[in-house]
Amino acid sequence: MAVPKLKNKSQTKETSNLKGTLASVLILGIILIIVWVSIYFIFVNRLG
Amino acid sequence: MHMHKFEKVWLIFGTVALLVFLTVLGVSAFYLGNQPPSCLVTIDPEKVEVTAPFNAPGLYEVTGKDWDYELVFVASAFSYSPAKVEIPKGSTVKVIATSKDVIHGFEIAGTNVNMMLEPGFVSEYTTRFNNEGENLIICNEYCGVGHHMMSSRIEVVSK
Repeated sequence: MAVPKLKNKSQTKETSNLKGTLASVLILGIILIIVWVSIYFIFVNRLG
Repeated sequence: MHMHKFEKVWLIFGTVALLVFLTVLGVSAFYLGNQPPSCLVTIDPEKVEVTAPFNAPGLYEVTGKDWDYELVFVASAFSYSPAKVEIPKGSTVKVIATSKDVIHGFEIAGTNVNMMLEPGFVSEYTTRFNNEGENLIICNEYCGVGHHMMSSRIEVVSK
């Protein structure tokens, strides 16, 4: 039957390699943290 | 529910980052007592000129308070009153400001003093002037055709 075959195909895709996705998410996260921390330190330095 | 291992990694990473950011915000607001510059103090925008302290804008020395001076500013299209003020170096100043007409900005360039002046509300910010020299105050909320001409100066002078 055609339908179960398709299902099997998509299931194998779900377990595909996510290394690239993980890397992009972490790079984006690190950039956000660096920007947030830099702006926070500018704010703290100007409190003086 | 099946979840990829990497998916768990970035969900935890994102959640932890969000919690850290919110904690910093919470400590700043509830422990250090930081609040928005315009916080519940209101004024009739049509009677700014006859309402104290805005009937006489300028720098006033005060005693018995956490700050040494009160600096009263009135913004209107397209100028600030006073246009220039001298402040002794190292003094703590509470800036008290409002607008007579539309929304204006009040930013002392290069410092944390950056607030909106809304008609009907009084904005306040307490700061210390440690560096000698001239500070530029600019309007950073578009207020009309003369917006880019709107500025004032604070001269920090040695005592």
